[in-house]
Amino acid sequence: MAAIKIQDLSYYYPETIKPALNRINLEIPEGQLLIVIGDSGSGKSTLLRVVSGLAPTFYNGNLHGKVFLHGEDTVKMSRQEMVQKVGIVFQNPESQLVMNNVEQEIVFGLENLGLPGNLMKRRVMEMSSSLGLSGDLVKGVAELSGGQKQKVALAGVLAMQPGIILLDEPTSQLDPVAAEELLNIIRRLNEDNGITVVMIEQRLERCCHLADRILIMENGVIAADINTGSRGGRMWMPRAPLAYLPPLPNLFARAGFQELPITVKQGRQMLNSLMAASDSASKPGQDTPPVIGPVKGQELIDIQNLWFSYPDKEEVIKNLNLIIREGDFIALLGENGAGKTTLLKHINGLLKPCRGQVKLAGQDSKDLAIEEIAASVAYLSQDPNDYLFMPSVKDEILFTLKNFNLDDETYAEEIMKRFKLEAYRHGNPRDLSTGERQRVALAAVLVSKPRLLILDEPTRGLDYGLKKELGELLQEINGQGTAVVMVTHDVDFAAEYAQDICLMFQGQIIERGSKYEVLQHSTYYTPQLGKLFNNIVDNVITMDRGVRVLLELAGPIKSELASVL
Amino acid sequence: MLTYQFKDNLIYKLHPLTSIIFVGVVFVLALIFSHPAYLLGLLISVWVVLGAAGNLKEGQSYIKFSLIMVLMIVLINVLFARAGTTIIYRGVDIPLIGALEISLEAIAYGLGMSLRLLVIISVFCLYTYTVNPDKALHLGGRLGGKSVLAITLSLRLFPLMIKDFQRISEIQRCRGVKLSTGSLWQRAKKTLPIISIILLSSLERSLQLAESMQARGYGSGPRSTYDRDLWRPRDYLIIALSIMALFLGICSAIKGWSAYRYYPILEEISGLDWILASFIAMILLLPAILNWGGKKWPL
Repeated sequence: MAAIKIQDLSYYYPETIKPALNRINLEIPEGQLLIVIGDSGSGKSTLLRVVSGLAPTFYNGNLHGKVFLHGEDTVKMSRQEMVQKVGIVFQNPESQLVMNNVEQEIVFGLENLGLPGNLMKRRVMEMSSSLGLSGDLVKGVAELSGGQKQKVALAGVLAMQPGIILLDEPTSQLDPVAAEELLNIIRRLNEDNGITVVMIEQRLERCCHLADRILIMENGVIAADINTGSRGGRMWMPRAPLAYLPPLPNLFARAGFQELPITVKQGRQMLNSLMAASDSASKPGQDTPPVIGPVKGQELIDIQNLWFSYPDKEEVIKNLNLIIREGDFIALLGENGAGKTTLLKHINGLLKPCRGQVKLAGQDSKDLAIEEIAASVAYLSQDPNDYLFMPSVKDEILFTLKNFNLDDETYAEEIMKRFKLEAYRHGNPRDLSTGERQRVALAAVLVSKPRLLILDEPTRGLDYGLKKELGELLQEINGQGTAVVMVTHDVDFAAEYAQDICLMFQGQIIERGSKYEVLQHSTYYTPQLGKLFNNIVDNVITMDRGVRVLLELAGPIKSELASVL
Repeated sequence: MLTYQFKDNLIYKLHPLTSIIFVGVVFVLALIFSHPAYLLGLLISVWVVLGAAGNLKEGQSYIKFSLIMVLMIVLINVLFARAGTTIIYRGVDIPLIGALEISLEAIAYGLGMSLRLLVIISVFCLYTYTVNPDKALHLGGRLGGKSVLAITLSLRLFPLMIKDFQRISEIQRCRGVKLSTGSLWQRAKKTLPIISIILLSSLERSLQLAESMQARGYGSGPRSTYDRDLWRPRDYLIIALSIMALFLGICSAIKGWSAYRYYPILEEISGLDWILASFIAMILLLPAILNWGGKKWPL
């Protein structure tokens, strides 16, 4: 029997005429792990809300068609039955935890069901052992990291023992290590306990090896329904549209291959057989790394022997030196707590050094107010919502201009056009999608024509398409002379778009160099493409170069190859 | 919420209801006693328990703060009270007050009242540091479900909003808003955007929270309450003896033993007063004794 069966389902949010879901038919067998991808507004979150019963009970609106959970019509189920059949975990851990304490949070749902005390204790025990939360039970929620919070949210849902778990981009707000841990837990739940999982996840490279099946949604309908084949045997990436493919299969798809690798191992096998097949004379890519980016100009930021510690804490930055020039595009990589964000805050003057100097165009940052620095250093934080409060996109952009006593409305128009925001000029920025909100925030900080743009985790929560748009936009800004410095966990993004990489570790910059020098032979801080070409072809870490190399290799022997593979 | 920090000793591991009863008993006794010997007894008990809980340092900072108030109480009483007979200093005329007359009784009365104040402040210090506010709140959850949930939620969201405020202020400054200059009115006007961003984000956040609560069946039927705290024999013992101390205290108040007459001349304190006062104090030392015993003879 199917765990979830959806029949001819349409759903309209209140006061809308366009259906968010349009005549969906879907059957999900028990124990399947299904991944849903799609653009924002494609209806993927709505699908989860309908299956969990939140639409229409929470959202109201109109629902046509039927949803069956393990054969039972959801309309006939009480809410208590419903929450014990299906649980849902949301994107942002911060806005789904209700209680102050981990243990209380886990039992919150159980209390709502009115379960007896002994049973609740037992469930807490099981949850804390299986998710590794035993040591954290007495902790306050505020003490936890984002990854731990998301684990607690998952535990709170699992404690009700649902047979189906729905997850709405559960890892999008987490760093890669925490994301991987959470996905491992989800895989275990699916494999060891047979729980049916439906998960929305943008970054397929993190999870597509777990999936039994991938759904692509567009405009409220299922645009593609792909079975990923048996898990035991060799698995290939389904031929989804380019916009949804992770870098590695994306590369092979662009080069025209029919079979797309999922893992680096598969990719290298393909690459090696290509290398063997092509004659040695035409082996590409043994040249020197390409020169990238505009010509470097004068010094913007000069950080000398910077030491910093927060009051009564250990040093976060230790004797750090860094020079940023006009035309630089630097990505700061490093694990959590390495001091990356603290360094950014020294560049925009929010923090002043304990020892050492930060010079902005020759002037000591200690002598400059934050607002003075702000005129030449623009800052984009992780969450674009922290910027948006004006009633329209245009007002939001003009707000920054007025603060700097600039009155250049023509430039505001120009920047809206460049950031593809003209259509929303009079719309409320809070009504826009994630990617659009970020573009508004970016436009709002760039309108003052700063010489340096700094960004903190700009790719968090973005899908491949939005990441590409952002990367190209940043390169364009950089090409026009604005230096860019970004803190990121996203090595693929850094490799594709930045010029220089700074590796930070324990408060120091332990290496700085062009991305080809730094990322190519590293084991952890290297993009998927770097891992693919490592020791086979030198100096390939970007998509364009990768495609060119593949085409060069495969060109003469492509037909031959197709029959081999 | 911000002060509570768990320590591994018996006082911290008491059931929150036990701690609340103990604190409540001391508080009530401090109000009904006026005899300095009885109040001194209470003060000593509370401080020994504070010491057993490992919060002497925090208690001291409370005392430092309250000494200023003690000084004020004594000073004002000395200046205005005229009922004492044992004059120890007679001085110059002060406008409004008249001739300065300092009597031993007035000083003693001021000190007696201060003693009561110190007991109350110390016992609040004990409460603040040793009772987990979250658990205390949860105890209340049995009484009024929805309002307690509302308080819990606001306690959880409050620190988040403070963080939001700091982060958004920084962002506004980086967008060129001069938050630290200008007149008060101008500055207030400049914080408006920050407040509206926080409000907008909180609105979005609260909708998501409501959704998450709905998804976990909140309000779908009668709730049950989860007890994470265990009742141990010592909890029963401490509650029983606290109630006994309360009973003894009320008895002695009714009999008039724990009352004290400061004016016109200080009443003599008899040996019997000391004995009864120290008996009540001894009873209230039980948590500290149990803590000491538990360390000396571990199970």
